[in-house]
Amino acid sequence: MLEKVDRILTSHGNDKASLIGILQDIQAEYNYLPPKPLERVAEKVDAPLSQVLGIATFFQSFSLKPRGEHIITVCTGTACHVKGAPRVLGAIERELGIKPGDDDTTEGLGFTVEAVNCLGSCALAPLVVVDGKYQGHVTGKKMQSLINKTQKSKKK
Amino acid sequence: MGMINNPEELGKVQKAILKERKKDSGKTQIVVCGGTGCRGAGAEEVVNAFGEELKKLNGKAAEVLFKETCCHGFCDQGPIVVIDPENIFYQHVTPKDVPKIIKETVLEGKVINKFLYTDPQTDKKVVHEKEIPFYKKQNRLIFGNNRYIDPTSIEDYLALGGYQAMAKALTKMTPETIIEEIKKAGLRGRGGGGFDAGVKWETCRHAEGEPKYVICNADEGDPGAYMDRSLLEGNPHSVLEGMVIGAYAIGSSEGYIYVRNEYPLAVKNATIAIAQAEEKGLLGENIFGSGFDFSVKISRGGGAFVCGESSALMTSLEGRVGRPRAKYIHTVEKGLWGKPSTLNNVETWSNVPPIIEKGADWYRTIGTEGSKGTKIFSLVGKINNTGLIEVPMGMTLREIVYDIGGGIPDGKKFKAVQTGGPSGGCLPESELDRPVDFDELIKAGSMMGSGGMIVMDEDSCMVDVARYFLKFLVEESCGKCVPCREGVLRMLEIVTDICEGNGKEEDIALLEELSETIQDSALCALGSTAPNPVLTTLKYFRDEYLAHINDKKCPGGVCTALIEFSIDQETCNGCGACIKACPSDAITGETKQPHSIDKSKCIKCGMCEDVCKQNAVIIT
Amino acid sequence: MEKVEEITIKIDGISVSAKKGEKILWAALDAGINIPNLCAVREAKIPFGSCRLCFVEIEGRTGPVTACTEPVKEGMVVRTDSDRISRLRRTAFELIMAYHQMECRNCINRGKCELLKIARDLGIKLKSLRFRKRQKVLPLDETNPFFIYDPNKCILCGKCVWVCHEKGEGKIDFAFRGIDTIITYKGDVLSEQKCALSGECIKICPAGAMIPRNFSLIKKVDTKNEM
Repeated sequence: MLEKVDRILTSHGNDKASLIGILQDIQAEYNYLPPKPLERVAEKVDAPLSQVLGIATFFQSFSLKPRGEHIITVCTGTACHVKGAPRVLGAIERELGIKPGDDDTTEGLGFTVEAVNCLGSCALAPLVVVDGKYQGHVTGKKMQSLINKTQKSKKK
Repeated sequence: MGMINNPEELGKVQKAILKERKKDSGKTQIVVCGGTGCRGAGAEEVVNAFGEELKKLNGKAAEVLFKETCCHGFCDQGPIVVIDPENIFYQHVTPKDVPKIIKETVLEGKVINKFLYTDPQTDKKVVHEKEIPFYKKQNRLIFGNNRYIDPTSIEDYLALGGYQAMAKALTKMTPETIIEEIKKAGLRGRGGGGFDAGVKWETCRHAEGEPKYVICNADEGDPGAYMDRSLLEGNPHSVLEGMVIGAYAIGSSEGYIYVRNEYPLAVKNATIAIAQAEEKGLLGENIFGSGFDFSVKISRGGGAFVCGESSALMTSLEGRVGRPRAKYIHTVEKGLWGKPSTLNNVETWSNVPPIIEKGADWYRTIGTEGSKGTKIFSLVGKINNTGLIEVPMGMTLREIVYDIGGGIPDGKKFKAVQTGGPSGGCLPESELDRPVDFDELIKAGSMMGSGGMIVMDEDSCMVDVARYFLKFLVEESCGKCVPCREGVLRMLEIVTDICEGNGKEEDIALLEELSETIQDSALCALGSTAPNPVLTTLKYFRDEYLAHINDKKCPGGVCTALIEFSIDQETCNGCGACIKACPSDAITGETKQPHSIDKSKCIKCGMCEDVCKQNAVIIT
Repeated sequence: MEKVEEITIKIDGISVSAKKGEKILWAALDAGINIPNLCAVREAKIPFGSCRLCFVEIEGRTGPVTACTEPVKEGMVVRTDSDRISRLRRTAFELIMAYHQMECRNCINRGKCELLKIARDLGIKLKSLRFRKRQKVLPLDETNPFFIYDPNKCILCGKCVWVCHEKGEGKIDFAFRGIDTIITYKGDVLSEQKCALSGECIKICPAGAMIPRNFSLIKKVDTKNEM
């Protein structure tokens, strides 16, 4: 399992200065940052585990928990906020019982919802990204049907 | 086309590209905007559809040129397609429209009315891109080239005279004369504080320590601002060229672009651009035989607003957690790896080549006394024409909002424009005639920031907006110093109380006192400017705070604890859509009879308003 | 060796001599002039500057500056107290106390509490009047064989991180960010026995958040009455 981690580490020359890049690549591989790879990273770049954990918990893009099969990213930039992002989050909470923060993933790892501070596509506000696909001008109602559609596609 | 070894060869290469392209000058060129906004609206599918359709033309396809660019700026109309040389502008193009465009416009030269833009002010269709009011009042000095450049093609940049400013700087100017020129031009950093870029370079040049670093900040963190993304995605070579000139002036041979992880396209295009520039010898060792070496690396940020702060950004580049350091030594003296480092953002670097090419005297003719040149703004929120605009410094907010932005949609009333991101503030109607530059915005209690302009209408709640920014800042605070970590949290608590109807009149005084303390005592600029959204809303919209506190009312109809939903009995046509949509079964009514909401069941989620086509849902 | 240049500055009207480059805070403390501080470490090369208590005013400068970061300059005139400074200090201290969990009876720093001393110096109560107590109930980090870390007491001054990297094994650091920031050790491997020998983090902590495993808590008095 750790071979992939070693490969990533080697591609960064086991360099402590590349810790952020190393963790990004590991997250891309595993979908989150599992404990074992983090320990491996600390060992290989010769950094205290606390430093690696410090980075992994400081930056928003890292997750220490497994994330869902489907990822819903809600843009909460200013334009999206004034155009209705809170209602979109409300719809997600009603439909899936999850909200950005501690309870961001459904049981059984179906969905993860995350809030991002501006994705730089303000013309599409309120903007939601479902599994990498941008969805513009989303309302509570549209969010509801996006979730239903995604759930159905899963069952197939 | 191999290495370009000197300015003469650069000139020859440009001429050769132009000559080659002249052969095609009579041909139709289809330009599709593949910027983030247009991509979000489906531009990639449109590009693919054009590819398919053009293939079907067989021999005739050679007569049609195709180009995918990045952001043109008029994002709300995306996907945008422009047909040159006629300059026909089509908006909201979908893949299924593509065959029609090829057949009628490209092959038969006919304009298709239904894809044209309608000027909301005159209600008339506009055929040509250059006649669209949104573009007319702009001065697209820095951003304009995006429209003509395929960002993955260095030839496109060279054809427009790319890297000639660099050639001039490296072979005809000394580092000192470059710095003098930048200082004389009055170029101020476009990233936030508006610090004099020439002075920064000069200090860094004279600072002790080797090597020196130049860094491009592409970690655009202000919510509602995306010009750096669009510049780096759309015209990466202009950023690189600016960095080379800066590095030569400062005496640096290593550069970094620190870019947000959420901007994969910017990473991709910048990576391609660096490789191309290296291949041509425009980056690397002994550029143009000047003996000057310069290389650029890309570093992806981990997602932290605080990394826009220079010392935090630099520790993050070193692979550590980005917490700002106490500012008794500046990063221009001791920055990355403790060495002198110059940090400017994407837009600032892009301003460098035109200044060097055309001279400081020319540059100084644009802008105001204290702020020279143009500024790119993202005009977003409750505005008709959403997108990126570039205007000379000193244009008034009114001209921006009404002449370029086309005013507020749905006949609503303007309430405020928010500038400067979480460090800025909300300016009311009475401030609309203020010319926009670094100093004027500060006078009004806001700031330029990186150029976000979020327009709000009568349906926005200014207390809610203050709460929004406080929440943002609490989430993004690095947690190092007490006033920012704890103080902003307390401000959020108070404003949340107010939004939820639990506000007390003395809360306002406590908010003001906390604001003043945080401004005076926070460790970094992000902390000390954190109270601005609260202070400006208190200054200009105090009555809204008082309405929340005293009358327990939210005039904007946003704060759920203080509002009620009802259905206008006159307007409702009894279609039943809201009954179906309501998740709490709070709406009842017979078909074709006005419906009504049971307030005890209503959870104020807004679903009924979203689905009502009659606008019969009223929020009070 | 080159002789270190001595210069003279005025603090609260008193002439004070100090080494060139010394920070105002240490010059003042050496001269017996008190400036409250919680995160400053004299030997640290880079002042941490997080507690925002040690503000002073310097003649000719517009805003207050932190004494821990500002080097002395010949002829400098410093004031350690003014209404503005007092307000900054009191607010910062009140903000700290609104989240530091007070368990004074069972605290390792009992009898030598720096927080209490600062409260007295500032003339304010330990308990914040304007802000509600922040309810953090975070789990203890008990993964280190020698100490237990209590994030509920920790005021995030960073002294333990500095001293551990300076004198110990360098295995603790900050984790998370913003209001969630804590110090973490998380069961890292101790390669040497420096951790056991040093115990510096326990000694340096002003908040009693680093508790040695062999520390026996004073018998809990009837906690019902304390609530």
